[in-house]
Amino acid sequence: MLNREKGVLAIAFREIGRMMSRPLYGLSMILAPLFCYVFFTTLMKEGLPQELPAGVVDEDNSSVSRNIIRNLDSYQQTGIIRQYSNFAEARNAMQKGEIYGFFYIPRGLEHDASSSQQPTISIYTNSTYLIPSSLLYRDMKTMAIMAAAGVGRQVLFARGANMDQAMGFLQPIQMDMHALGNPYLNYSVYLSNTMLPAVLVLMVLMITCFSIHTELKDETSKEWMDMAGGNVLKAVSGKLLPQTLLFILMAAIYLVILYGILDFPHENGFWPMLLASVMLILASQGFAVFIASAIPSLRWSLSLCTLWGVLSIPISGFSFPVMGMPVALQALSYLFPLRYYFLIYVDQALNGIPMFYSAWFYVALMLFMLMPLIDIWMLKKTAYKYTYLE
Amino acid sequence: MWLKHLLTVCGEELKKTVSDTGVLVFFLVVPLLYPLLYAYLYGQEVVHEVPVVAVDDCRSALSREFLRKSDATPDLKIISYCSDMEEARDLMHRHKAYGLIQIPSEFQKTIEDGHQATVNLYCDMSGLLYYKALLSGCTMVSLDMNKDIQIQRLAGLSDRELEVQTMPIENEYVTMFNPANGFQGFLIPAVLILVLQQTMVLGVSMIAGTEYEKRRKGKLVLGGEYTNPIVVLGGKAMAYLLIYALVSAYVLCIVPELFHMPQLWHGTTLFAFMVPFLLSCVFFSMTLSFFVKDRESCFLLFVFVSVPLIFMSGISWPTSNMPAVWRYLAQIFPSTHAVNGFCRINTSGALIGDVLPEFRKLWILSGVYFMTALLNYIKHYRSNRAPELIEKLKAERRMLRAKVRERLTR
Repeated sequence: MLNREKGVLAIAFREIGRMMSRPLYGLSMILAPLFCYVFFTTLMKEGLPQELPAGVVDEDNSSVSRNIIRNLDSYQQTGIIRQYSNFAEARNAMQKGEIYGFFYIPRGLEHDASSSQQPTISIYTNSTYLIPSSLLYRDMKTMAIMAAAGVGRQVLFARGANMDQAMGFLQPIQMDMHALGNPYLNYSVYLSNTMLPAVLVLMVLMITCFSIHTELKDETSKEWMDMAGGNVLKAVSGKLLPQTLLFILMAAIYLVILYGILDFPHENGFWPMLLASVMLILASQGFAVFIASAIPSLRWSLSLCTLWGVLSIPISGFSFPVMGMPVALQALSYLFPLRYYFLIYVDQALNGIPMFYSAWFYVALMLFMLMPLIDIWMLKKTAYKYTYLE
Repeated sequence: MWLKHLLTVCGEELKKTVSDTGVLVFFLVVPLLYPLLYAYLYGQEVVHEVPVVAVDDCRSALSREFLRKSDATPDLKIISYCSDMEEARDLMHRHKAYGLIQIPSEFQKTIEDGHQATVNLYCDMSGLLYYKALLSGCTMVSLDMNKDIQIQRLAGLSDRELEVQTMPIENEYVTMFNPANGFQGFLIPAVLILVLQQTMVLGVSMIAGTEYEKRRKGKLVLGGEYTNPIVVLGGKAMAYLLIYALVSAYVLCIVPELFHMPQLWHGTTLFAFMVPFLLSCVFFSMTLSFFVKDRESCFLLFVFVSVPLIFMSGISWPTSNMPAVWRYLAQIFPSTHAVNGFCRINTSGALIGDVLPEFRKLWILSGVYFMTALLNYIKHYRSNRAPELIEKLKAERRMLRAKVRERLTR
């Protein structure tokens, strides 16, 4: 069994040789994921974007309006970079992409507010840039309400109310928001936790499919099967073994970056996520073997695996929730290993709830690992009588 | 003469493309279908009726009103009223609910006493849109109820006076260029541009990879007989441009139309802007294609790049807040400038003058990548001719030796 000519280990060593012989493997299994790890975690290292460029149009130019602008600029997310003399100018700056939004204070604000004429402050944001736009909106809206409350408070103070009474009158009901697991609304927590595994999954799907089908293309598939004594399960597991180990190492690296270095929430510790990551890799390999066996053409099976890898990013639901998608796509989302990984991450890392709640997601990943059992016999057939089609 | 060669190369390239299903998938099928899939995915723009649970510890008229009104907002849907937090938490853990509204027992009394009462909101942070829905839904209800409470207290004033009393300065919000303030209007324009660039890179690399393979197997590939690299480069570029002129017309004009997305572009501006974008894409693809040594490796090399590229364009995480390294790196990709330009042309009706910086950078990229592609072709043809040169040299040497031998035997 353990001789150098035959068996799982021999195939594994043969595969290491194959992987070393082409820089393509190193590039896509090591460099590409590493680049993405560094890219995403450094891109959003601020967590929440600070000092977003915004503008102001102050047609009132009174002490009230100047006060509003000063206060607005002191918000962490808003950076007033310029005052514009009129609406058209500010709109133009927004169109050119210099600012993401602006605050419009009409002429006569101070006068109208103190004489009960109810003037209107306007908030304009460029919603093509959704994140900066909503953050600016949040700051500006708060500022507008505060400005109104400030004026209202003054009126109440003048009538002899104290602070508690004034607030009780101006805002009888207030909201206290608890953002569970991510209280600072850190974007990196919310994106990197899925983006890093997503890139790795894409690579796992493509490499698995590619490496199996290049055997057919290079016409070495017979030799490969013979080394396994014609046992296709042995052949495939020997081949994938070195890849699995390398991919698990790559997964460990992102886990260390996310939960060790950046210290993102990992309420239930490191191990549930390590387990999930290892299972995610095995599940993706299982899925790719299933596809590679079912479709006896390198290009078509690789195309499908690629599509699956790319599509798993939006369909995992980390940016736009699955429940907001059309029903057909909601059903489709069950067929993506990354979807289950994302659900496990939410339970185990972000919310830190008992493993028992996530059990079915782990089971689902396990089912993906078993998928090749359905059609791997087809791979053996193709391995023995196959001609490469372009 | 060169014009004829140019057209021949172009024609051959088109023929090659049409007869190769692999390339056709990249050049036609993906650009045709992928944007539709994405638009379908984000078709609902925002999430409505996020399921939440309520824990009403007050059980008063006011607390019931608050919950009833929250349930009635388009953002939220109360799926269950729980008797305690334990039960509510369990529902959240089971992913039945993504938010929790808890009303403390002294809620109504505090308000009646004229103090400020607090409603506790707990939100599952697995998606930011849940947070947005919960916060905006409940804020809307509280503003509405605050007004009612104030009006009750100020009995005797006219409606208008009341309004002024409760809100001395009004505010309004205008979301420009993406009226639904949703995902589709924000992500799709970037995806469309990226699809154009990436499919071109993939398709062109696949063609180049196939040729490389054939050459390795010793088969003759067209282009060898045309020794002028500019003609070969130009001919191929012309073929890709012809295909992509049609494809981008579909992707950028018809797809948004199908999904009723905002489209404010002016024809001449869009056309003028697309010229340098497509040119830079073509030469960018041709430059990259020299790294591809076989037919299928383009998948492994170029697909994953799309993911960082969409972020580099600054459509999601703002460019102003990126580390300088990524801001500079982003400059070398046509998609970065094209996404920003196209977004403004398409969604805010910008004219060519408004996107001048992007327009210029795309022309610069076109020039740079034209040069790199050309250098590659020149090098390639030199190395391609090398075997012939060696053969020639060998033949000359053989002749010489033969002559020497002849002389010696004499």
